[in-house]
Amino acid sequence: MIRFFKVILKNIIQGPSTIKYPFEDSPAPEKLRGKIVHNADACVACHLCEYVCAGGAIKMQESEDHQGIDFVVWHDTCTFCGLCEYYCPTKAIHLTNDYHTAHVQADKYNYVEKTFVKKQPCICCGEPMVPISPAMVEQIYGQEGDIRGLSKMCPQCRRKILWKGGVSKS
Amino acid sequence: MPMSSYNIPIGPVHVVLEEPIYFKLQVEGETVVGLDINAGHVHRGIEFLTMQRNFYQNLTLTERVCSLCSNNHPFTYCMALEKLAGIEIPVRAEYLRTIADEIKRIASHLFNIGIIPHIIGFDSLFMHAMEVRESMQDLKESVFGNRMNLSVNTIGGVRYNITDEQSKYIVKTLENLKKPLAEITKICRTDASIRRRTEGIGVLPKDKAIAYGVVGPVARASGLPYDVRVVNPYAAYDKLTVYPAVEQNGDVFSRLLVRLQEAAESIRIIEQCLHDMPEGPTDLGYMPDIPAGEAIAKSEAPRGELIYYARTNGTPIPERIKWRVPTYPNWAALNVMMPGYKIADISVIIGSIDPCISCTER
Repeated sequence: MIRFFKVILKNIIQGPSTIKYPFEDSPAPEKLRGKIVHNADACVACHLCEYVCAGGAIKMQESEDHQGIDFVVWHDTCTFCGLCEYYCPTKAIHLTNDYHTAHVQADKYNYVEKTFVKKQPCICCGEPMVPISPAMVEQIYGQEGDIRGLSKMCPQCRRKILWKGGVSKS
Repeated sequence: MPMSSYNIPIGPVHVVLEEPIYFKLQVEGETVVGLDINAGHVHRGIEFLTMQRNFYQNLTLTERVCSLCSNNHPFTYCMALEKLAGIEIPVRAEYLRTIADEIKRIASHLFNIGIIPHIIGFDSLFMHAMEVRESMQDLKESVFGNRMNLSVNTIGGVRYNITDEQSKYIVKTLENLKKPLAEITKICRTDASIRRRTEGIGVLPKDKAIAYGVVGPVARASGLPYDVRVVNPYAAYDKLTVYPAVEQNGDVFSRLLVRLQEAAESIRIIEQCLHDMPEGPTDLGYMPDIPAGEAIAKSEAPRGELIYYARTNGTPIPERIKWRVPTYPNWAALNVMMPGYKIADISVIIGSIDPCISCTER
């Protein structure tokens, strides 16, 4: 028992280990997985994040006017597991260390991260298509970028161009 | 039946931890003579849910079966799938998996080390143990990104990496944990009030431990040196030296001591890992295909041996995932531990097997 009094005494001198949270901010470590942000410019709408999401928090759907892809993360059903970020080929999706997710009941269905991945017309045929983001272009074609503008073409046109020209001629 | 015989219900709300389990106890006077365990209050159908989701979604789902051993579920699930698909994971990933697993083990054991004094009314030690445990929670938060669900494992590797700076931080945190842990161990060993309430209570003799097939710290406290990390090494354990903690008496006190020693052993294992860990990739770099087949994998969760069985049919959704958790054989052994002891000892006996009801009923 004497031994434990030493511990108690030490803890009294040390003061409380807790913080008065709402009145005092608790800094979050860099790696903490919190609210998701989505960078629509880097997104290639590959739906991989939607595929791995266990909670079904991520929805990617073509917009009603067919001009782009609506990307929605519903934070209330997100488990902050980070699989979407891990498997995202361009790291367009990122879990920030913002853990402040308290909100009123009335807002529960609006508590989302919503972005719009805009389609661009194909430079050959003009058909709207999801552009390959610069991050993806860099991964595929390297730092030099995409010389022949293949990333701005729809898959059909891309195939035609490659068939005509061949890969080695560029 | 004598006049003093009657049945008392214990639970299902808040028996020891905030987890529901219902005991129907037959008592004579104040002594327990028999018991009936009634479980199923937190059955969520998770095994069925795994058959509705693809392999990657199940990583997250299995992690949420339980909180204290949350890392072991996706870990063993991944091992089963990797065995099935014949995937060799990178060596660095094996070490990183081991580190995550041992950090979870320390946090889980320190929780139970705090809970036992709490049950017997020694709340100041409980508070102290939980404060010491907080350093592990901070470690998990800053290295892995969450206080409980680490999200470490993926099929074919791990999803995190540690830099030299983080490695130093882990070593420093573990170094700072050693002294308070040794202090708690000494208090638990010598404090008269703890010994009075735990020594010779809830005894599980060695022969009964074998008969009931108990696993984990419960088995090791009854003199069975069974530890999956030693008898059937997985991940990086074949490259490390692990000394399982074994006690002979099989009472609540022995189980407490086994957990205290294992927490210290885990610190040693992590230090070994950080020292030996080679450089290299941490994952496969692609999403592997899982062919049709079946496989079984097991690991040592903080509570004991965890077994996963997986059967696939070539589609992205598993045909069957089944697991057996350590608490399942352990709580059956309560039939041996409880009779003969007083009503006041019941909660400390239940607490000593460190039951995880949400794992067992999933």
